[in-house]
Amino acid sequence: MAQKNCNDKIAISLRNVSKYFGDKKTIDNISFDVHCGETFVIMGCSGSGKSTLLRIMTGIIKPEEGEVIINGKDIVRCSHQELDEIRKNFGMLFQYSALLDSLTVEENVALPLKEHTKLAPDIIKIIVKMKLSLVGLRGYENYYPSQISGGMRKRVGLARAIALDPDIVFYDEPTSGLDPVVGGVIDKLIKDLSEKLLITSVVVTHDMMSVFEISDRIAMVHKGQLIAIGTPEQIKNSTNPYVQQFINGRPDGPIDFFKEDIGLKEILGL
Amino acid sequence: MISNLGKFFIDVFFHIKGVINLFFANIYWIFIGPFKGKPPKIEHIFYQMVFVGLRSILIVFFITVFTGIVLAMQTAYQLEKMGAVIYVAALVAVSLCRELSPVLTSLVVAGRVGSSIAAEIGTMKVSEQIEALETMAINPVRFLVIPRFLALFFMLPCLTILGNLAGIFGGFLVGVGSLNINPDLYLQTTFKYLKLKDIFTGLTKSFVFALIIALIGCYEGLNTRGGAEGVGRATTRAVVISFILIIFADCIITAIFYFSKM
Repeated sequence: MAQKNCNDKIAISLRNVSKYFGDKKTIDNISFDVHCGETFVIMGCSGSGKSTLLRIMTGIIKPEEGEVIINGKDIVRCSHQELDEIRKNFGMLFQYSALLDSLTVEENVALPLKEHTKLAPDIIKIIVKMKLSLVGLRGYENYYPSQISGGMRKRVGLARAIALDPDIVFYDEPTSGLDPVVGGVIDKLIKDLSEKLLITSVVVTHDMMSVFEISDRIAMVHKGQLIAIGTPEQIKNSTNPYVQQFINGRPDGPIDFFKEDIGLKEILGL
Repeated sequence: MISNLGKFFIDVFFHIKGVINLFFANIYWIFIGPFKGKPPKIEHIFYQMVFVGLRSILIVFFITVFTGIVLAMQTAYQLEKMGAVIYVAALVAVSLCRELSPVLTSLVVAGRVGSSIAAEIGTMKVSEQIEALETMAINPVRFLVIPRFLALFFMLPCLTILGNLAGIFGGFLVGVGSLNINPDLYLQTTFKYLKLKDIFTGLTKSFVFALIIALIGCYEGLNTRGGAEGVGRATTRAVVISFILIIFADCIITAIFYFSKM
């Protein structure tokens, strides 16, 4: 993967972040930096805490310990107004798109523009058209989210995420639930956005095809802990058995899904 | 047993705290938000007003007309024995304006609008739409709750006035059609005994009920958890809790008016 000229500025920095849900430690002392302009992929099994990690970075979930620094501000401890100011610099693509059902495609994409800018309605209309043609959906302005397919909804979600020309875009499982072709299209869009618009991308996924396709650097999370971080080559050649099992998708190995079913033998009388 | 009871009360206090917080968030976004350059969207408020008010007219009209008819017949049944049938007019008008029209209207609206608010916001919550609003730096209270809150606050008293008129009309139908009271006399008696303060007490109630319906509906919606089942639960809870609170608040307000001789 070609190294970009992003003069190693740090866009997002996590410092010793921990998050508890009840007694369970979902995120366990994680620290890493995301550099400006790179595509940073967080991968891990379902329930490993990677989505929680993404929500911590967007300020939806507040961690109990540690700090998350975006644009020089700790978003864990800043005020609501400051957090909203920072949020205007980033977009997010949700796993199930999370478009507002009551608004048309055009209104959905226009929403952040209407709320945060003082642009005239006809200018907003032009911007929306541009964003929609960027994701290949011109002509669908007047459809409602329920009238278009899942892949199209995701692309509308992407158009909405980049409506305000953000510096950072977060992707929550961008290709899950899509057919391989549409998944490839989304991957290409993510790559294009980060290369052409120099957007910093943080992608949470467990789709191995897209991980190596789009990533500049990869982090792997397992049971709330960061177990590997590095370039795609480093991850591919990693000696960590967890990483090897995960990227090859082998059913047996150190990641054991049945480990928590202790007592099963006793129940079955074995 | 005792620990369960304690848990229940802690839960209740937690919810009360949540509703009060939502109320103050509402106050903030209505009175302070506009000065910080974030006024509520007028078109959203009007849209909700149409849904809350205009679309509820038919059901409110029918419910209060029939209540007026029933009330007139029931009181006539008693008053006939004393030969005081003419007082049907006064009784129907006063009891409707002070009590029945505000309560019945808000119960109907709680069932129709409160449930739909809870279901709509609840669905948005479980499908990550609320979270999406937050990551777009759009406050869900300002964007979703304020228009519904204001629409209910303005439209419920309007519907109550409509209910008053429809109920008196129902009583009028019975009085003139079946009890053979002179129409003029019926109306004269109505307005002789119906004081302005009766209407005001009724409207005061409906403002409080509007507050209850909007706050409970939105609170339950925003705190929905767990998919389709959670949305169903939130909707049911919104209706049940607002029904109980409406009757409870009615009891308190009536007592206040009664003891302060209003």
